[in-house]
Amino acid sequence: MQQFEWIQIPYSLLTLFIVLNFGLLLNALMAKIAARVGRRRGIPIYQNYIDLIKNYGLRTSITHGIMFYLGPVFRLAGGVGLLLFVPTLYGSEMFSNLSFAGDLILALYFVFFGALGMALGAGESGHPHAAIGVSRGLSQMTMAELPFALAVFSVALQYDTLTISEIVKAQQGSLFHWTLFTNPLAVAAAMLSFLGSMMRPPFDVVLAPQEIPIGPPTEYHSSYLALMQTNRMIFPIAKIVIIMNLFFGGATNWPIFFAKVFLIYLFAVFVGVVFPRFRVEQSIRWFLIWAVPLGVLAIVLV
Amino acid sequence: MVSPLFIIAAPLGTAFFISLFSKEKQRLAFLITLAAMLLMSLVSLHWVFTYLTSGPVDYYTAGTLPPFSINFRMALPEACLILLINLTGLFSTLFLKNSLLRMGRLSMAVLLIDIMSLSGIVLTRDVFNLFVFLELMAISTGGLVLLSEDNRAPAAGLKYLIVSQLVTILLLIGIIFAYHATGTLNIDGLTVASLTHSTGGKLAFFLILIAVIAEVKPFPANGWALDIYESAHPSFSVIFSVASSSAVLFATAKILSIAGPEWLPIASNVGIITFLAANLFALSQTNDRRLLGYSSLGQSGLVLAIIGQQDILGDHYLYVAGGILLAHAVAKAGLFWMSGIIKGRELTDWTTIQGHPFLIFSFATFIALLIGLPPFPAFYAKWELIHSLAGAGRFPLLAMILLGTLLEVGYLFRWFGIILKRKPDGPGVLQKKRHRKRMVIAATTAVGWGMGYLWGTLSPLGHLFHATPLLFALSFLLLDWLPARIKNSLAIAGLVGYFALQYAGYNPMQLIFASVILIGGAVILLAGFDNTGRRIGFYPATVLMFAGLIQLIEARTSFDFFAAWEILTVGSYYLILRGKQSEPHALSYILFSLGGAFLILTGFSLAAQGGYQIELQMLGTVPQSVAPWVFLFLALGFMTKTAAIGLHIWLPGAHAEAETDVSPMVSGILLKAGLYGLMLLLMTMGKQQLYGVELTHMLLWIGALSALLGNLLAIFQEDAKRLLAYSSIGQMGYALFGLALMNHLGWLMAMMFVINHYIYKSMLFLSIGGVARRTGTKEMYRMGGLLKLMPLSFIAVLIGIIAVSGVPPLSGFGGRWIFYNAIMTSEYRLPIAVLFLAGPIAFLYLFRLIHTIFLGQLKDEHRRIQEAPFWLIVPQMIFVALLMGVALVPGVALRRVDHYIGQFFPNEGGGLNWSGMTISSDFGYWNPVAIMVVVGVMFATLLAWLLFVNRQAQVVKQFNIVYAAERPYRPETTHFAWNFYAPYRKALGFLTQPLVTRFWQTVTDLLHAASDLFRRIYTGNGQVYAIHLLAFVVMVYLYSKGL
Amino acid sequence: MVLVVLAAGFMLILLGLYGALIHRNILHMIVSFSVADTGVNLVLIAVGYMPGRTAPILDSNVSVADAVERIIDPVPQALVLTAIVIGVGVTALMLAYAYRLYQTKGTLDISKFTELKW
Repeated sequence: MQQFEWIQIPYSLLTLFIVLNFGLLLNALMAKIAARVGRRRGIPIYQNYIDLIKNYGLRTSITHGIMFYLGPVFRLAGGVGLLLFVPTLYGSEMFSNLSFAGDLILALYFVFFGALGMALGAGESGHPHAAIGVSRGLSQMTMAELPFALAVFSVALQYDTLTISEIVKAQQGSLFHWTLFTNPLAVAAAMLSFLGSMMRPPFDVVLAPQEIPIGPPTEYHSSYLALMQTNRMIFPIAKIVIIMNLFFGGATNWPIFFAKVFLIYLFAVFVGVVFPRFRVEQSIRWFLIWAVPLGVLAIVLV
Repeated sequence: MVSPLFIIAAPLGTAFFISLFSKEKQRLAFLITLAAMLLMSLVSLHWVFTYLTSGPVDYYTAGTLPPFSINFRMALPEACLILLINLTGLFSTLFLKNSLLRMGRLSMAVLLIDIMSLSGIVLTRDVFNLFVFLELMAISTGGLVLLSEDNRAPAAGLKYLIVSQLVTILLLIGIIFAYHATGTLNIDGLTVASLTHSTGGKLAFFLILIAVIAEVKPFPANGWALDIYESAHPSFSVIFSVASSSAVLFATAKILSIAGPEWLPIASNVGIITFLAANLFALSQTNDRRLLGYSSLGQSGLVLAIIGQQDILGDHYLYVAGGILLAHAVAKAGLFWMSGIIKGRELTDWTTIQGHPFLIFSFATFIALLIGLPPFPAFYAKWELIHSLAGAGRFPLLAMILLGTLLEVGYLFRWFGIILKRKPDGPGVLQKKRHRKRMVIAATTAVGWGMGYLWGTLSPLGHLFHATPLLFALSFLLLDWLPARIKNSLAIAGLVGYFALQYAGYNPMQLIFASVILIGGAVILLAGFDNTGRRIGFYPATVLMFAGLIQLIEARTSFDFFAAWEILTVGSYYLILRGKQSEPHALSYILFSLGGAFLILTGFSLAAQGGYQIELQMLGTVPQSVAPWVFLFLALGFMTKTAAIGLHIWLPGAHAEAETDVSPMVSGILLKAGLYGLMLLLMTMGKQQLYGVELTHMLLWIGALSALLGNLLAIFQEDAKRLLAYSSIGQMGYALFGLALMNHLGWLMAMMFVINHYIYKSMLFLSIGGVARRTGTKEMYRMGGLLKLMPLSFIAVLIGIIAVSGVPPLSGFGGRWIFYNAIMTSEYRLPIAVLFLAGPIAFLYLFRLIHTIFLGQLKDEHRRIQEAPFWLIVPQMIFVALLMGVALVPGVALRRVDHYIGQFFPNEGGGLNWSGMTISSDFGYWNPVAIMVVVGVMFATLLAWLLFVNRQAQVVKQFNIVYAAERPYRPETTHFAWNFYAPYRKALGFLTQPLVTRFWQTVTDLLHAASDLFRRIYTGNGQVYAIHLLAFVVMVYLYSKGL
Repeated sequence: MVLVVLAAGFMLILLGLYGALIHRNILHMIVSFSVADTGVNLVLIAVGYMPGRTAPILDSNVSVADAVERIIDPVPQALVLTAIVIGVGVTALMLAYAYRLYQTKGTLDISKFTELKW
């Protein structure tokens, strides 16, 4: 635990900058990999930059009201906050970001900040598809997050702390000190849960990206959409950072960081290109039957 | 000093005198009768004062001593009973005026003879004389039954005479053999002669006893009495129920005094079975007088059972038996008289007293008297009775008394609910203004309260009327004519003023609860300024509830605690009953609450170990043999109030149907009473094991399941207030879980929940209540798009749901953070998993709440509605500010509590470190201010960025949305709201089967079916009743042989 | 002799009860109860009777001094007298009731008067 100093603000912005760019490239890369599996060419690696600039540049904007307007702001603030409340690199004063504000629990609960705000914004648009998307998304999320929460708690019990840097510290020294090897049940539960939060098949019925526009962002366009796209670059990485810190020994420098994030992300993509889509009640049951027991075992046996 | 013989001679002489009058002088005869009754009442009053201090005095007749003459004994109990009998006679005469004038002077003579014979039964010490008075009672009763205009009454009277013939035979044979065995008929003489030591004497005694008990109307030999109650003139029923029953009960006690304590179980068992059976059968009654009749039989049975307990009650015998008997007498007299001014004999016909606040108040007083609610005599009496029973180990009897009382609560409060909530069929059929009759009812009510005061004065445990909060609450009864706003100001001033006076003396935990109750109550009461008019009945109930709550927090002894518990229960019941559709819910509330209260009573009585109360702080010193049971009973009792799963079914309806400003009170504040009890229990008793089961572990599971099922049920509600109510079940589950963790942070978390839940649940209920008032519905799918019309309500709900869900930066997160730290040291992991599942589910219902009401499509019929009334918004905005405050500086409220809790866990560190801005535990840390600032800055920056790139955004119309191939134009079809979580229901709906509701429904159905089946033994045939009596005698005889 | 009276008394009581329980006609029942009452009175007298003594009347035959030795106990007799008086009263009242009931329904069958039940 450290105290706030002003220098942390530029440092945090630097983290944000690095992660944003990494996210833009990584997402395009993953899209490309998925396309290649389907024997398509896929997008160019810089496509996300173009999309983002275009959307921020679009001038035709309408709004359905104040919450609609604020929705994307909530969403992006949630993503940025999640990134910044967690130390990115272990042992680095520079990239420990704003983690003085709170521990693991803060990160866990801040995940919902963006989701809630987004849902409110989508709700005010008045579009039934948005509401249906929120209903599906929240339903799936409640069950998908459960194994993750159990795994996190198991890890916290294992290391007897709720401070992220303490957890990473305990995993240093050897590959076999990683939670992956010391508490495989928790990691298994968390990784299954991770699939549910990545909006990829088989758990992507919420957004259904391939079909006509449905899901919470239905009414969002131009700069709103740009904000949400920005979040979509940052948020998965912020989430992966937590997973990496808790289960895979964290990262002490950027190259290791990039590699680990890439591999963890790849896991979700890999599963996504292999399996077809679940309906919401199917995915709820799937998490309940396969992932939750692992999580329960993890906290009982730890 | 007037000789007791006067009480026999005066009515006899008057009766003889008026029968000589000519037929035209009915009025004069009536006046003389009235004067005689008044005179006798005054004389009896004089005796009460005389014998208050002196011991019993015997009066001899015929110039010789017994056994050659009859003697009367006069002492305090006799004097009181005579007063009761004569006052009953006096008021009944007043009430009967028209009937008496119609029937003529001879009926007045019969009335006088009846009262005289009842007095004689009380006074005489001679068995044969007792027989004579009993026969006189029978004959005069037979005559008075004919006063009724009901043409079924003669049949009832005949049935009574048949039964009394049998009684006569038994009694006479018993008397002659008793005389043969001992040579005396004097009761004291028979005692000296040890009547029951010989075999023949035993039989003789048995016959006398059973004959007298048969007059008490024991089950099953009491069908005739019910028929009389149903058909007789109500004012005669008063005499029959109050005066006759009291007299024969006293006679039974006298007869029992001849024999040793080994005969007492007969009275106990006959009494308790009568009590249970009568109250069970009363459940399926729809005729008011018959129901009252059942209730009378039950109460006589209870007193008979108490007579059987005189061996353990000792000095308290008279106090206990008198308390129950007199409370019953006053209540039953009042109720029968009330039935006399109501035409129509169905319970629903009593709806005509709607709009007569005083009659409703009287009715409420009478049922409180019957059940034994504070501050009435039966409350003190039952408390001591239960404690004595527990002390002597008579648990089956204890359980049956409480069970019977609960049945009684069931039908009496159901009746009360019907009276207040059902729509009257037609225009009022209340009898025309009859001031005379109403005066009688008013006087009876006053006597009831006076007796409450008297019993308080006599109570060694504490005088409820000496508690300032209760007096303050009762004073609102007198002020009820004032406009609502003035009363509201008074109530607020009272709450805040009391807090200002008292807060210095509270410990930190009490301080938290007291602030929530008093200051919190005052804030919610602000919403009451919205009401114009007088709002009759609201303030007495509200302030009564707050009085009970604060007395609960201040209580030091188990007696004070329990009294406060019942007071707050009663207050909140009346409050809940005020809601529009709340009749069934208020009933289940009072049933669960009083059921819980009886468990608490049992727990305390066990803990007292034969004493009459226990210091709450001494609960920890209860011997290990009973401690787990004490813990179990108390915990179960408290959990009825926190609506733990299984005991929760009353809550959703009660909270949802309550008035707009009542819901926040009963949800945000009242539920905390149960938490306070549990906290107190755990603080003093700690962990307890029952048959190897760790009880706190059980609580942990109950808490976790309540949290899960409460939340799960909430997401499927269409009614916004029901949703919030179910959410309360979940929230209380969390708090219970925290307490049951039995560690420092768990308790701190529970305290955090006390504060947080109060703030956000009160706020949400007020906002939703405001919306419901404007839209005229509570169904969420009928609303939608209200954000633009009711922005302030929206803000309150938004802040509320963020806080409930625990999302940073608002105060709910603090609760969650403490929770995670608390479970780090818990030894039980599985319930934690359940609780983890419950957490995210809260998002579902919270989002649904805000979405379907404020977002989405505005309905056509709502386009013109306005923001909620000003006075509903004011407290909401205060709550918003409070939530922000608690979110930023939780230490203000919690730091001292944290320290205070520390003393209960001296061996663990466990506390929090509050230094600086950051709050840290052994495991992690949290800086509320930093979180708030970071989130705020981030949010503001991004918003500024969006405003910059999107400065030209223009608001579009409602239906301007992307839609393929069709144009939406109806909000009803475009607003996705109904069955919002259909997939969730498909996946997890099996968890929401109403198993608990079904269970309790089955229990009540079974009770009703049993009631309806077994009451059919009363076939109405006089010969069957005679057989009942003979069978009863045989059964009791066989039982007594086994003694 | 005393035993015979006693037995007769109990017989009458049982007979009366039996009659009161099997006859549905109210008048029959009243008569049965009178029979039972008589039986009770017989029992009272039988129990109180002392063989070889005279009536409890203090006259020339019995002096106050030896009254305790010679007369039988007056109390049971007083009881019987009272009981008879009361019995007459109750019987009269029951007959009055029977009259009233007959007026309302035109029947004296007790099983017809069961509107009040349960």
